[in-house]
Amino acid sequence: MDDYVTSGKVYLIHRDFPLPMHAYSRIAARYARAAAQLGKVEPVEQALFQNQEKWEQNGDVDGTVAAVLSPAEMNKVRTLVKGGTLEPLIDKDYTLGQTYNVNQTPTTVFHCKGQTYPYSGLMPYDVLKQFLDQLLSQK
Amino acid sequence: MMQSSPLNARRVVIWIGRLVLGGIFIYAGFSKLLMPNTHLWPMFVLKFSISMNISSFAQQVESYKMISPEASQVVAHTLPFVEIVLGLLLLIGWRLRIWATAITAIMVSFLAVVTRAYLLHMDINCGCFGTPEKLTGMTVVRDGAFTALALLMTIFAFMEAREPHPWSTPEKA
Repeated sequence: MDDYVTSGKVYLIHRDFPLPMHAYSRIAARYARAAAQLGKVEPVEQALFQNQEKWEQNGDVDGTVAAVLSPAEMNKVRTLVKGGTLEPLIDKDYTLGQTYNVNQTPTTVFHCKGQTYPYSGLMPYDVLKQFLDQLLSQK
Repeated sequence: MMQSSPLNARRVVIWIGRLVLGGIFIYAGFSKLLMPNTHLWPMFVLKFSISMNISSFAQQVESYKMISPEASQVVAHTLPFVEIVLGLLLLIGWRLRIWATAITAIMVSFLAVVTRAYLLHMDINCGCFGTPEKLTGMTVVRDGAFTALALLMTIFAFMEAREPHPWSTPEKA
């Protein structure tokens, strides 16, 4: 983030693509979206990814998110989640993902100088850095 | 006069084993390197695709929770190449008994690992090929069938090695 996004070299857009095979992924996407509206997306996403195995088993997304937010923030998040306004935004992201044939998460779609490169899977930072440097140095 | 037909049942099984398992091993190796990310050009994009695919495979190996992340990286960086080489050697047929034994040993270990994960109800991708594929009972059945074929091929290869070659001249008494 500091090397490429903050410095303005790369523009990063986060999209949701809750996979139907994971029972609670859409609920998790709602909570992450709601947290994003409060400017708390990073700690919430970190908590969701780190505890994925637990909430995938017991479905306790709410408890996982509550562990990293204050009670006041959590009340706002719960209101947004129950409000139903986040659902169309998640659906829109999902539809966009389908146009790139996304079938697993995470998937990263790079756009550079008219070229598009969708990549699925987690990226080790040194591999990503080398790729971004070469992509940015392309004429 | 030939002592035995060149197409007895054992030789048919050996041929089927060589073609099927050789083809599958080559495909499995290439798919782990070139799938699911298949951007091949320019060269730095190809390099990134292969790095990403190996990284994804390493995660799938790690998800079995049998070896450390470091060991998973070693497996992910070597297994695809080993599969391609063994598949080619099996198709070529040079030193068949050695490579058939090696492939059987690998298939037995795959079957053991997949069966363990299935019995533990692990919700993971099998990592058999490049594209994500959920580990199910069918994965165990498929691996079992391939292992049985590999075993038969190897046993028959050793048995055939004791027989005179079908096209060799019979020894005079």
